[in-house]
Amino acid sequence: MCGIAGVLYKENGHDRGIGQALITMLDGCQHRGPDSTGFALYHEARADDELRLRFLVAEGDEGNETIADIKARLAEFDAQVTEEERIGNTVRFTVKFDGDLQGLAYAMEHVAKVVSIGQSLDIVKDVGGAHDVDDTYHVAGFAGTHGIGHVRLATESDVTPDRSHPFWATGFADVAIVHNGQITNYWKMRRRLEKRGMEFHTDNDSELIAVYLADKLANGSTLEEALRSSIDDMDGTFSFLVSTKEEIGYAKDRLAAKPMVMYEDDDLVAIASEEVSLNKLFPGQALQTIEPPPGTFRTWRRSI
Amino acid sequence: MATIDLADVSVTDANRLLLSYGEAGEDVDVVNPDARHHIGVGLTHPITLRVHGSAGYFCAGLTDGPRVEVDGNVGWGLADNMYQGSVVVRGNAGAIAGVAIRGADVVVHGNLGSRAGQVMKAGTLCCAGNANFMAGYMMYGGRLVICGDSGQQVGQDMTGGTIYVGGSIESLGTDAMEEDLPAEEAEDVLAFLDRYEIPFSGRLQKIVNAGKNLRYPRTEPRVRVIPFFVGSERTEYWNSKVQEDIAVKAQIGRYRIRGYGAGRPLPHLNDIAFKRDLTSVPADSDVVSRVDLRTSLGGRFGAKPIELSMPVTIAPMSYGALSKSTKIALAKASALSDISDGTGEGGLIPEVRAAAKRVVVQCLGGRLGWNVHVMRQADGVEIYISQGAKPGLGGQLMAKKVTEDIARLRGIPAGIDLRSPSRHPDVLGADDLVIKVEEFREATGWEKPISIKLGAGRVRDDIKIAYKDGFDYVGLDGLQGSTGAASNEVLEFVGIPTLSAIMEALDALAEIGATGMPVMLMGGIKDGIDAAKAIALGAHGVSVGTSAIIAGGCIACLQCAVGQCVVGIATQDPEYEQRYDIDVESWNIHRYLESLRWQLASIVHTHGYASVYELSRDDLVALTPEAADITRLPYAPEYAANTLAKVAAAS
Repeated sequence: MCGIAGVLYKENGHDRGIGQALITMLDGCQHRGPDSTGFALYHEARADDELRLRFLVAEGDEGNETIADIKARLAEFDAQVTEEERIGNTVRFTVKFDGDLQGLAYAMEHVAKVVSIGQSLDIVKDVGGAHDVDDTYHVAGFAGTHGIGHVRLATESDVTPDRSHPFWATGFADVAIVHNGQITNYWKMRRRLEKRGMEFHTDNDSELIAVYLADKLANGSTLEEALRSSIDDMDGTFSFLVSTKEEIGYAKDRLAAKPMVMYEDDDLVAIASEEVSLNKLFPGQALQTIEPPPGTFRTWRRSI
Repeated sequence: MATIDLADVSVTDANRLLLSYGEAGEDVDVVNPDARHHIGVGLTHPITLRVHGSAGYFCAGLTDGPRVEVDGNVGWGLADNMYQGSVVVRGNAGAIAGVAIRGADVVVHGNLGSRAGQVMKAGTLCCAGNANFMAGYMMYGGRLVICGDSGQQVGQDMTGGTIYVGGSIESLGTDAMEEDLPAEEAEDVLAFLDRYEIPFSGRLQKIVNAGKNLRYPRTEPRVRVIPFFVGSERTEYWNSKVQEDIAVKAQIGRYRIRGYGAGRPLPHLNDIAFKRDLTSVPADSDVVSRVDLRTSLGGRFGAKPIELSMPVTIAPMSYGALSKSTKIALAKASALSDISDGTGEGGLIPEVRAAAKRVVVQCLGGRLGWNVHVMRQADGVEIYISQGAKPGLGGQLMAKKVTEDIARLRGIPAGIDLRSPSRHPDVLGADDLVIKVEEFREATGWEKPISIKLGAGRVRDDIKIAYKDGFDYVGLDGLQGSTGAASNEVLEFVGIPTLSAIMEALDALAEIGATGMPVMLMGGIKDGIDAAKAIALGAHGVSVGTSAIIAGGCIACLQCAVGQCVVGIATQDPEYEQRYDIDVESWNIHRYLESLRWQLASIVHTHGYASVYELSRDDLVALTPEAADITRLPYAPEYAANTLAKVAAAS
């Protein structure tokens, strides 16, 4: 039960103020979710063999031990650490790695709670509002190409950073989702995916969407195809956004139970739960917006 | 002409300003709206409000009389519950535009989102563009004009009113059908379009209720009781009740409907006891004056609290299920005992408002008898999510109970089988509920406590949501709660017991460190001893429904749904209602409430406490293993002799 927001700048070449744009939009719909806030932020990949990994770690010695374990496991996978930053309740590594990513990701999950892994993606999420999370993680200064964000009002699972959105699609680089609604066939779908070797790390129904889409993408579906089948396969209420290295997209349930409004011009596409978030990006203007019809999906790709 | 700049002024302040401009009869321009929610909510003066830009949720909601113009788009719930007046939107509207309108003209030049006109009752909702999914869902009356195309399932479960579609109809909803459109009627719609300068040259198609649902071909027969064999000394398995049940189902081919709540044995407040030997309760007629029972509800967000002479209220019950006479007797009794009354569904009747000192009005999904004026007459406003007797289900008021008076109050045609939806049009999740609560606060100037009624289902999650969504207090209703009509299976088996409900609620609130949101417990509260135990467990107080009704003459025949209540309580038939003596029954209910007060005071005083809120869990034990497990109180069956029988005898 939440608010979602996403923005993609169409023109390539230089990074834009994605962090600030998402903070502004999420602040506009914070009333929909005061418990936690999160951002999935994308920038141009710097090199094909460079990965960014972010983990949740505890404070003090316990956290130090976890970080040592992470480093040891990275070394086992021949991932060479080039940067390390401990911030908030997370630690972020930049590594050189060109091996089997899913193997690495699952292995890392058994050492620490992975927030995200990707060449372009970095997920920042924590309890509190958009400005609280920005105060700790300095999201406003993030320049990039596109991103999605989320404010959460916890309904069934607890208020913890790992149950916050966005969810990274465990095992699949650069895929993230944010979701507003409730997936009612969660356990059925989860068991099905687990039988196929997929791993889940929380009891949050939204994680299912991330894992589901990643599974489809890994098996050769396009993002559009994955979104189309998600509308058939998921029961319940949902408006969700997904982002990959190059694209963002949305899908909306057939009952149109959860709101979503989008605005598009030559420069950008912006999607949010409520128009008030879009209007925050363009104060003082009456925007030409569209409410996507029920049971629909769409994707936008950066011009490359 | 005044101007309000929402870049500088909060919406709450703007709405206060609008009321004063309304008093002065001055029109207002709103600039920099930037899709903010609740613009113009609660406006009850016929002024013109021009919104220069886009508005958010509930624009012009809970209003009566204004003319509102919006240059841009609007969010969910445009003109929610608007009585008279008009709204014209140049852009698009989000979901549930024109929800529950009762007479206004609501015109959208762009497209309508999903479920436009849900539970609308009168007036006209019109769009020049297309309407999305389920337009006219559960509408009761009025007309919905879609000049463009309509999405799937238009007219889903409509009971009254008319839908006109100029473009294509993707699909008709269940119980909707197309009908020929008489020329005169078409002219009338075209004249409306002309008046609002909507160009239209196509051919209108007319959609109305097909009347196929909601008909029970066979009523429940009265069963001749046949002596039934008894297979052994134990008769739980096959007995005459089971026989009757099977015989009736063999006739009607469906579930049976009855009144009251769960009748099967369930863990309840009987299964816990006070440790202190209450046989020492003195026969002190003045005990009430020796302890403090006074309390209040609300005020968590600065509203004016509802003052109560004791932590007890009358549970919300509807005028519709109950006769007007019964509602008045309950209201009178509540005033005599200086506590609050509640409306339930179906609105606040003037007689109840006049008789009750304090009354909480309830808002249900059908928005029947619900409007801004009723909110302003109330001492508290309650959003009903569900009730203990039938959590998750809606209701149906049979045609013979839908009298002219009830129909007028509810804004629907008389004599229809009236469906009450199981959910709110604009509350599909905790996030929507936040915005709904804000709308109510705006409509009442943040002056009235706003509570939530929850039937016990997934209490642990729901009560956390209630806390985060900013309610002043919670009415929590367990499985033993009663209703006028539901299926026997639902009454017995859907929901969780009252005792479990209060424990889950308190545990959940403790888990998130929530304070300051009291829980009023209901569902099988029969006396002051139950009330004292509930409070000792951690409830703020209790509400009594069934026991108040019984005090006021109910004979518990369970036939509330039939509509011919022999004591004039659950009926709208004047022949039966005239048997009900308001003065006599209001005093009966009052005396019952005073017995409850005396028991509560005696228990508090016997413990040596000055205030009812000094009672605590430390004073309690569990008498059964089940109750011990539910409450985590020490299991001490040896206390069984202590309490109930003797205090009951003493009182």
